[in-house]
Amino acid sequence: MIRLLGWLSALSLVTGLIMGFGVAPRELTQGNVQRIMYLHVPTAWVAYLAFGVVFVASIWYLWNRAARADQLAHASAEVGVVFTGLTIAAGSIWGKPTWGTWWTWDARLTSVTILFVMYVGYLLLRGMIDDRERAARYCAVLGIVGALDLPLVHFSVYWWRTLHQPPSVLKPGAPTMAPVILAALLANVAAFTILYAYFVAKRVHTLRREHELLA
Amino acid sequence: MPDNWTFVVAAYLLAFLVLGAYWRRLVRRDRQLRTRESRRNAPAHS
Repeated sequence: MIRLLGWLSALSLVTGLIMGFGVAPRELTQGNVQRIMYLHVPTAWVAYLAFGVVFVASIWYLWNRAARADQLAHASAEVGVVFTGLTIAAGSIWGKPTWGTWWTWDARLTSVTILFVMYVGYLLLRGMIDDRERAARYCAVLGIVGALDLPLVHFSVYWWRTLHQPPSVLKPGAPTMAPVILAALLANVAAFTILYAYFVAKRVHTLRREHELLA
Repeated sequence: MPDNWTFVVAAYLLAFLVLGAYWRRLVRRDRQLRTRESRRNAPAHS
């Protein structure tokens, strides 16, 4: 099953690249640099998804102390940190030619950075506590508190005056982009979501085996 | 606006390297666990 997910994610990523570079046209105002969107938006979506899963799994763990819930939260947080780091890096690379700067302390960028630092802290906390049950409990609380930053990240572009543009897809009403560009974006969102599922499944599998070896 | 292909290549190359490195880490961890499991399950020699 995990192997199948791996092959499926490789196939969908290739399809996403073909859609982003072969099918989607050159954007009129930004030129080809806009193609970074097919990487930046899907990784940001996966970051939302990953920390949303951490939130749900953390509540599940505190509810019934299931080791499976803790393993899922741990795996999802780890993958979420990778994807959030990529979102920030890709956004920064896109920002230089379009905004004229690599970085600005804009509300969206700052709130995403806080999210990233919070989940890096989550992973450090796990590593710092030897007692697995206690680490799981503390991390579940941090996983829930950390997820409160998610709405702040998403709505920051509405609540504050920012350089970052408002959402084009995850908003009320129809998406405001050309259908072919939207299709390429959705193909990449699907591809990165499958890759997320593959990474999490593989990580949960190793965490379960580590747990069994230590038992 | 110029196309700035360098930035596009840099972003995708970085993503490829980071995701590839994470995947390799998962595969390596999996292999280490398999070795430990096989050692643990191997019959003890007298």
